[in-house]
Amino acid sequence: MERSPGSCRILIAGTGGQGVITAAHLLADFFVQRGRKVVSGQLHGMAQRGGAVQATVMIDCGIGPQLSSGGADVVLGLEPVETARALPSISSKTTVFMNTAAVIPYLLSLQYVLGEKSAHYPSIEELQQAIRGATSRLVVLDATALAKRAGSIRTVNVVMLGCLFGSGLLGIAAEQFLDAFMRTAPPRLADVNRQAYLYGVESGESLAVSKEAQ
Amino acid sequence: MGTALAHEILQNSPGLTACLLGNLAIVRGALEAGVQLCTCYPGTPASEVGDTLGRIAADADIHFEYSINEKVAVEVAFGACLAGARTLSSMKHLGVNYAGDPLSTMPYVGVEGGMVIVSAGDPSAITSPNEQDQRHLSPSLFYPILDPATPQDALDMTRFGFELSEQTRLPVILRPTTRVCHTGGMVEFGSLPEKKREIAFEKDPSRYVPIPINARRMRQELIERYARAAELLSRSGFFPRTGEGKHGIVASGVGYAYASQAIHDLGIADRVSLLQIGGYPIPGRILDDFVRSVESILVVEELTPFVEERVTLAAFHADRRIPIYGKRSRHFPLAGEYDPDLVEDALRTYLGLAKRERPAVPVPDLPPRPPVLCPGCPHRTSFYYVRKIFGKQTVYCNDIGCYTLGYGEPLHSCDLLLCMGASISQATAIARVTGERTVAYLGDSTFFHSGLTPLANAVTNGDKVTVIVLNNYVTAMTGFQPSIAAQADAPSPPVGEGRRSAGLSIEQAARGLGVQEVFSVDQFDEESTVAALRQVKTGDGVNVVIFNSACVVHEKQLGVYRKRRQFAIDQEACTQCSLCIRMLGCPAIHVHEERFYIDENLCEGCGLCVRVCKQHAILR
Repeated sequence: MERSPGSCRILIAGTGGQGVITAAHLLADFFVQRGRKVVSGQLHGMAQRGGAVQATVMIDCGIGPQLSSGGADVVLGLEPVETARALPSISSKTTVFMNTAAVIPYLLSLQYVLGEKSAHYPSIEELQQAIRGATSRLVVLDATALAKRAGSIRTVNVVMLGCLFGSGLLGIAAEQFLDAFMRTAPPRLADVNRQAYLYGVESGESLAVSKEAQ
Repeated sequence: MGTALAHEILQNSPGLTACLLGNLAIVRGALEAGVQLCTCYPGTPASEVGDTLGRIAADADIHFEYSINEKVAVEVAFGACLAGARTLSSMKHLGVNYAGDPLSTMPYVGVEGGMVIVSAGDPSAITSPNEQDQRHLSPSLFYPILDPATPQDALDMTRFGFELSEQTRLPVILRPTTRVCHTGGMVEFGSLPEKKREIAFEKDPSRYVPIPINARRMRQELIERYARAAELLSRSGFFPRTGEGKHGIVASGVGYAYASQAIHDLGIADRVSLLQIGGYPIPGRILDDFVRSVESILVVEELTPFVEERVTLAAFHADRRIPIYGKRSRHFPLAGEYDPDLVEDALRTYLGLAKRERPAVPVPDLPPRPPVLCPGCPHRTSFYYVRKIFGKQTVYCNDIGCYTLGYGEPLHSCDLLLCMGASISQATAIARVTGERTVAYLGDSTFFHSGLTPLANAVTNGDKVTVIVLNNYVTAMTGFQPSIAAQADAPSPPVGEGRRSAGLSIEQAARGLGVQEVFSVDQFDEESTVAALRQVKTGDGVNVVIFNSACVVHEKQLGVYRKRRQFAIDQEACTQCSLCIRMLGCPAIHVHEERFYIDENLCEGCGLCVRVCKQHAILR
């Protein structure tokens, strides 16, 4: 399959309220300002009521608004099950960043009380294994814990972006995205967001280092 | 500018390129055309068109309204264009059905100022009860329809639509689909007009009044004006052809984006000729030239084989016996939206290329995550009490809004659903033929959209129907557009853009239509709620209960939300009877290792679970 040099297809997956669409907007803005051509698709529909949300950011990839199967270069998974739900877009060339903190679907509790005792949230190990079946490039971190440490659970998306840039995968210095992000972040939340991003960068850097060491 | 804030699309910055959501590109196109009046009724996937126009209307000097329904939206925009204004009316695909009456005669009368109707399609019915194909309106009602593949198309076609409309005197429909509306793509801005046109209505009844004697004349003119639209479309640049290969590909809408992507990825550009269909009526010359220049054709279009039929006809008229593939040949399905894999596979089959091997990645069984009523949602409380008083046997007719989520487990509050406003008509019908009292549920926005007429109909017929209006002061489902029903005595959110008055009273409207028994209560007040429901259950004829409580999510957005209380489950007292989850389906209550918990981050403190728990195990 032909690819123009420097093209990159990023898929962001999570649940309603985790900031999937915001993360996609931030990435799209950043790359557009660097003179790149961006197509960004989002699918939320009725998902704002706690459902699954996916967004794509495709950089210098033509006009198609959707990924083909196995077509993601990067998956940012803000939630474990939602990361695994992105498996059709994951191939051996995909690097997956997965937050290990689960958001348990409400439906499981309902199924449980209605007698479907087998309904359960898969174990993180099970999900990791499934993803490793498609790609060896899996980076896991507890982004939710880092977001809380930064001061707000709502910054999970920012931690994940920090991890992406910190990993060096995109070949762009982490400070460059931070500078652009801070120009647009509301001042009131700037410190929390910066801290969340830096925690993400730190874990991205260390994970990247440990991968090299292997 | 992936998000392109509203003020940025107001800049007069020709040549600027930005990443713009398709819906915002439509707004930019309308601004570049000098649009003067905009109307909309919210509906996904078109909602951001109206919302953005609402935000910028004052700065852009545009008349804007969230209309009471699509019929009124279209009529207002049409009336204004007869006075010479350029107007735009925006809705989802189903909106054109509700506006069908004015839409069918508007082309006869014809426009003065240009008029563009945005009607966003929803292949795969992602947020709709059907996936109808509005393109059929073109031949049946004489509408030029523009069919964008990308946000850039959306901008260019909207701007061009006003020109096309004025030159043919026909209103024009822009038909984007979900994957255009909700895709951010690179867009190059044009310039904004320096000044807008003069507006004045000049009387000319023979021109504007379609009584039969005029209508018959108008019908003759319509044929010429529609033919003129095809001629103008042929010079529009929206039917680009790329490549000179013998394998023809004709593609419309987002199918064109997928097809050009697949041609690039497969490296087959030298073997194919790709023709984009950017609008309807498809200019005859363009299709004629194309069918003569290729040896076969694959048609790539979502929904119905609309282009395919026209291509087949063009080949017949050109006396070209070439194979034409598409939906009829099963290269493509007849239902559901397309995606890159589907289009690539069809292209491979068409060109005789090897099938693409897709390694089967085992996907573990993943728990689904369907949408659900939010914690603290007042609709849940309404459903709970109504079902408690009316029981399991009553037929519950539901309507279009968040409250459709009353469907299925565990609320069982949606036995019937059809379209906007149908809850009351359907409840009427079931009550009349069974003799049993039925319940109709609909929200404040839907009540004024299309609930008044079926309510009047039920009153006239004396049907045993209880209409429950779920008034949360906002059109929540489509993104919290201001509702027309804001009551003066309620803790109502601000009126918002696009509304000039403090709103209408549902109670007065119901009484005005002759409903004798009308209760207006806060459903979180158990005593008055139960009393009202007991009374209407045994009442005569039509009665109405209005439940007034603000949408929690909207209150949070407005910054007026105060968490009422915080509840937790006393593990000593809890007997794991599971009644709380089985009755309410609140996402804040969950089971973990056979014990029940309330998630303090999710609980909004509505207190409904406290009333359900027979063990008194839920405490502050």
